[in-house]
Amino acid sequence: MRILIAEDDREMAEFVGRGLSELGHNVVTARNGTDALHLGATEDFDLLILDRMMPGADGLSIVRRLRAANIATPTLMLTALGRIEDRVDGLEAGADDYLVKPFAFSELAARVHALGRRAKPQAVTTKLAAGPIQMDLLSREVRRDGQLVLLQPREFRVLEELMRHAGEFVTRTMLLERVWDFHFDPQTKIVETHISRLRSKLNEGDLPDRIETVRGVGYRIRAE
Amino acid sequence: MRVLLNSAAYRIAFGYSLAFALATLLLGLAVHYAAHAAFVRQIDASIDQATTGVMAEFRDDGLRGVIEAVRQRENGGPVSLGYAIFDRRGRRIAGELNTTMPPLGWHPINFVDPQEGLDPARAKATALGPSHRLVVAADLEPLERIDGTILTMFGIAFAALLLFGVTGALLLGAYLRRKLARIDDTARAIVAGELSRRMAIGPRLDEFDRVGDSINAMLDRISGLLANLRQVTSDLAHDLRTPLARLRNQLERLGDDMANDDRRETIYAAVESTDDVLKLFDAILRISELEEGSLKRGFSNLDLGGLVEEIAESHLALAEDSGKSLSVLIEDGDNMVQGDRELIAQALINLIENALRHTPRGAAIGISVQSDPGDIAMVVRDNGPGIPETHHARVLERFVRLEASRSTPGHGLGLSLVQAVARAHGASLALRDCKPGLEVALHFPRVRTG
Repeated sequence: MRILIAEDDREMAEFVGRGLSELGHNVVTARNGTDALHLGATEDFDLLILDRMMPGADGLSIVRRLRAANIATPTLMLTALGRIEDRVDGLEAGADDYLVKPFAFSELAARVHALGRRAKPQAVTTKLAAGPIQMDLLSREVRRDGQLVLLQPREFRVLEELMRHAGEFVTRTMLLERVWDFHFDPQTKIVETHISRLRSKLNEGDLPDRIETVRGVGYRIRAE
Repeated sequence: MRVLLNSAAYRIAFGYSLAFALATLLLGLAVHYAAHAAFVRQIDASIDQATTGVMAEFRDDGLRGVIEAVRQRENGGPVSLGYAIFDRRGRRIAGELNTTMPPLGWHPINFVDPQEGLDPARAKATALGPSHRLVVAADLEPLERIDGTILTMFGIAFAALLLFGVTGALLLGAYLRRKLARIDDTARAIVAGELSRRMAIGPRLDEFDRVGDSINAMLDRISGLLANLRQVTSDLAHDLRTPLARLRNQLERLGDDMANDDRRETIYAAVESTDDVLKLFDAILRISELEEGSLKRGFSNLDLGGLVEEIAESHLALAEDSGKSLSVLIEDGDNMVQGDRELIAQALINLIENALRHTPRGAAIGISVQSDPGDIAMVVRDNGPGIPETHHARVLERFVRLEASRSTPGHGLGLSLVQAVARAHGASLALRDCKPGLEVALHFPRVRTG
């Protein structure tokens, strides 16, 4: 992916840039808002990572102006402001995702991945598949090797998130945001318990585990 | 009466007026004795003068001259003096003073007044030659009248002073009590948590106003220090987050590069420890954010029943895994409250986590939404060991963990955060010791419809 990073803090820009380059992305860095706006409006990017507070133009106004010019490049807003209102501001301005500094690089990487996929036009899917697991979003049925697996509504939602990003990491925070609509860390183990229930239901009868856990990062369901 | 005695204001005012009345009484007695003595001296002087005059006649004309002089004096002299001349056998031979013969010298006597009967008098008896005796006496009635007048006047003055004193004491006492009660009420309100209350200052800047002013200055200073403490805590949390996150990311990279499984595990455990500290800092910052109280913008009407059901349901498996039961009861009715969904969710999650953490296996945790006419309560109740009432205020403070829960995980911010969420929503937080078990209730104000 071609990614624009607009960040005035050199250390932060290098840290993000190096990390994303190592993951195979093509990274362009802007040090102020004016450059970022110019680059975002004139060049083609798959993803914009914008710091909220920058000299020149701040992240919020850049997103607003790009959206006003019909440039829909997926945007991830970075901010040192973790207040509830700040997140609302960011999303209202048109950002697609919002990450509060300081963040774990793995969290950023997972979100970049997810946003990158969103850039490609996707057909509206009603069926998801990952290896032996099939999901029908309309009839709300889950089958493994054709066998019906009965899930609670929230377990179903967790599995759906994993299946939508089959083969990619979905972080605990992303699950909290998407399944529970919590944009803060409630400091509870609900994600862990739901994953563990989901696992035991999917693996009923000693089947091999399809969900991979990476400590400190998140969960990934095998695509094949 | 107890109120009067227990009040320092009344005691001082009463004591003061009583002392004043007693001083008046003493003064009255002193005046009485001085006037009495002066009057007696004056009577004695006129008796002496009369006696000398009569004796002069005796020396010139003998007994006959005396009798003549007495008769003249009785007819034309001062009325208050009486005379009598006795012979050797004690018989009165001249003078109208009707009394028995007293011994020589000064003596109090009684005489028969033609109008008033027996009357006290002061008398001086002098020898007229070897056989006869002259008695000159003054009626004491005028003296008694003056004594009586003085005593009556001072008695009235004493009574009036007592009356004024008591009235004044009651008024002054009530005034002082009212002034002090205002200060006391404000102080109590501040103790009860209304930290922004201040003493009322009158326009006159009297002693009370000055005390109130000093107390207000002291309260401002305390508030400033508290705010400063909070600021330092949240600044510290804020400033430490960035280097901690860097440390975390470096550790994670290190872990990813590590081929040795054991070492990788250790490094990931270190990553998780830093995550715990970061979460703690997030909680501190969240509490600070809530205490600043600028969140109302994100508030909307939400169905508390639905939210509680959703959160409780998400925790069923968690409770089951730790061998505890979780039940939910949502009362029918209008359960709409004004607030931030995520904050209320966070408060409820903290309460559920607390209940799960501080109860033994097999415990039952009940979550309910109770719809009352005045408010809507979100209640979490367990049947664990509970918290004794004396500790209820303390557990709401930041970082406070009771001795009994030292061994359980947690950082002592859970209930503080709940409290902060409650305050931000205008809700009240109530802890109750159910013996056994703890009940925590958040009473949300009802949304006014229409």
